[in-house]
Amino acid sequence: MSRVAMLIDESICMGCRGCQVACKQWNDLPAEATIQRGTYENPPDLSAATWTRVRFTELVQGDGLQWLFLTEGCLHCGNPACVEVCPTGALKQHPTLGIVTLERDLCNGCGYCTQFCPFGIPRLDADVLSGEGKAFKCNFCQDRVTNGTLPACVKTCPSGAFKFGSREEMLASGKARVEELKPGGFPNANLYGEHEMGGLGRLYVLKERPSAYGLPENPQYPVVANLWQNIVQPLGTLAFGAAALAVMGFYFVARRSIKMEEVE
Amino acid sequence: MIGNRVRRVAEAGEGGVIRVRWIPKYSAMERVFHWGHTVTFLALAMTGMILFFPFLRPLARGEGGQLIRLLHRASAIAYGALPLIYVILEPRRAWMSLKSVFKASRYDIDWVKGMIPYYMFARHEAMAPQDRFNTGEKLNAVVIILGSVVFAVTGLLMWFGKGILPIGLFQTMVLAHDVAMIVTLCMFIVHFYLAVVHPLMWAGLVSMRFGVTSATYAQEHHALWYYGADKAKEIYEAQKAEQAAKEKRSSR
Repeated sequence: MSRVAMLIDESICMGCRGCQVACKQWNDLPAEATIQRGTYENPPDLSAATWTRVRFTELVQGDGLQWLFLTEGCLHCGNPACVEVCPTGALKQHPTLGIVTLERDLCNGCGYCTQFCPFGIPRLDADVLSGEGKAFKCNFCQDRVTNGTLPACVKTCPSGAFKFGSREEMLASGKARVEELKPGGFPNANLYGEHEMGGLGRLYVLKERPSAYGLPENPQYPVVANLWQNIVQPLGTLAFGAAALAVMGFYFVARRSIKMEEVE
Repeated sequence: MIGNRVRRVAEAGEGGVIRVRWIPKYSAMERVFHWGHTVTFLALAMTGMILFFPFLRPLARGEGGQLIRLLHRASAIAYGALPLIYVILEPRRAWMSLKSVFKASRYDIDWVKGMIPYYMFARHEAMAPQDRFNTGEKLNAVVIILGSVVFAVTGLLMWFGKGILPIGLFQTMVLAHDVAMIVTLCMFIVHFYLAVVHPLMWAGLVSMRFGVTSATYAQEHHALWYYGADKAKEIYEAQKAEQAAKEKRSSR
C-alpha cells in the first residue's frame, strides 16, 4: 500500500458538521456543551474531545459574502515535526500509509507536539501543576483504514466533499477539481497540501487563498526543532562523552605523576 | 553544630605520623546547602535525561514518564528554594561568597596557565595564589549560578506558559533549557573529577564534608586566603624566581 490521503473539497462542503459527530461517535469522544457565539461554528476550537471541526469563515468581498468552511484536523504531514520532537515515540508515522498516529498509552503529556506543530493541531489535556495528562489529535481512523474501510468523517459526509484513497489519486482528483473551479467563478481556487511539510495527508480544494481560511500560506518545519533534535542533542551527547573521557585521561596521567606520600 | 571548630591532632611528630593542623573553611549551613544542591541537581539531571537521550525512551513513556516528569518538577522546587533559603539564613556569608566568586584577577590567568602542569604533573610551584575559592571553583560556581537562572526562567515558563506563550518563544525555552543542561552537566563532570577523584584535592572534599581544611593544603591551594594578598604575592614571586634560577642552572 502506498501513502494515503484525504481530499476535502471545500467548495462542496455545506458545513453540516456530520464529520464532527461521526468522529466523536467512532472515537468515543464526549460531546462538549456549546454556546451561541453568533456563528454556527461550534465548539469554538479543537480540543482533547474534538479532533475534527468545521471552521466557519465569513469572507466579505465587495457587496458579496462568501461563507467558507474548512474541516480542521491533523494534516498528517509527510515530514511531521511532532513525531520528531515526541520524546516517547507515542507519535508515529505509519511506514507505508504515512498516517501520523498518537498512541495514548505511550504519551506522557509533555506537550511538545502541541508546541511544535506548524498548524497548531494537537491538543493537550493536562493538569497545569502536575503536568499529568495526554495529547489528542486525529488519527485518520487508522483502525478503520487498515481494515479496509473509510475514516468515519469520510464515510458519513452526505455532500460528498470527502474522498479518501491513495495520495496520487487524491492529488490528481484535487487538481482536476481546481481546474474546474477556476473558470467557474473561483479564480483563486487552489489545492492545498501537495508540497507543504513534505506533502500533507489532508488535502484541501480551496475556493480562496489558504489565508482566507486561516491556514498558513507557507507552513515551515520549525527551525528550533531541527536545531534542537539534530544539532544540540547530538552535540550534547558528544560533550558528555568528551568530558568524561578527558577526565579519565587526566586521571591516568595525574596518577602517574603525583606521589601521595609527598603530599600533606 | 558540627563544623566551625578547630581540631588539632596532637603533635605526634615521631613515627612517621603526619601532623595536620585543621582550619575552618565552610560553615555547617554552607555544607548543607552544597550537598542539598548536589542532590537536587542530580535528581533533576536524572529525571530530565529521559526526555534527552533516545535510549531512555522506555522510561519516558506513559504513566512512568508522567511520574518522572512530576519528580522533575518536585525536585525543581527544592533546587530553586535551596539557594533562597540559604541566602535568608546566612545573608552576609552568602554575599561574601558571591562577591569572591565573581571577582577575577591576574592570578586567575596564572591559574589557567598552571592548570596542566599542576593538576596533571604535580608541579607544585605552578599553583598561583588563590583565594578561598580557586579559579576552577569560581568558574564552576559562575556556570552553575548562571545556568540555574536559565533553568529557573525557562523551566517556569515551560511549566506555566504552555499554551499562553507564543510557540516560537516556548520552542526557544526548550532549547535554552537543554543547552543550560549540557553546559552545567559538563561542568559537573569536571567538578566531580577535581573534587572527588583527583588525588591532590583530597582536603577539598574533606572540607566540604567536615567544614575544616588542612593548613598545609590551604597554604598551597588558597594562599591569598591563608596569608593575605601581600604575603601571598611575596611568596609566589619568590617561588617563581627560585624556579627560574633552578631552570637556568640546569640549562647550563
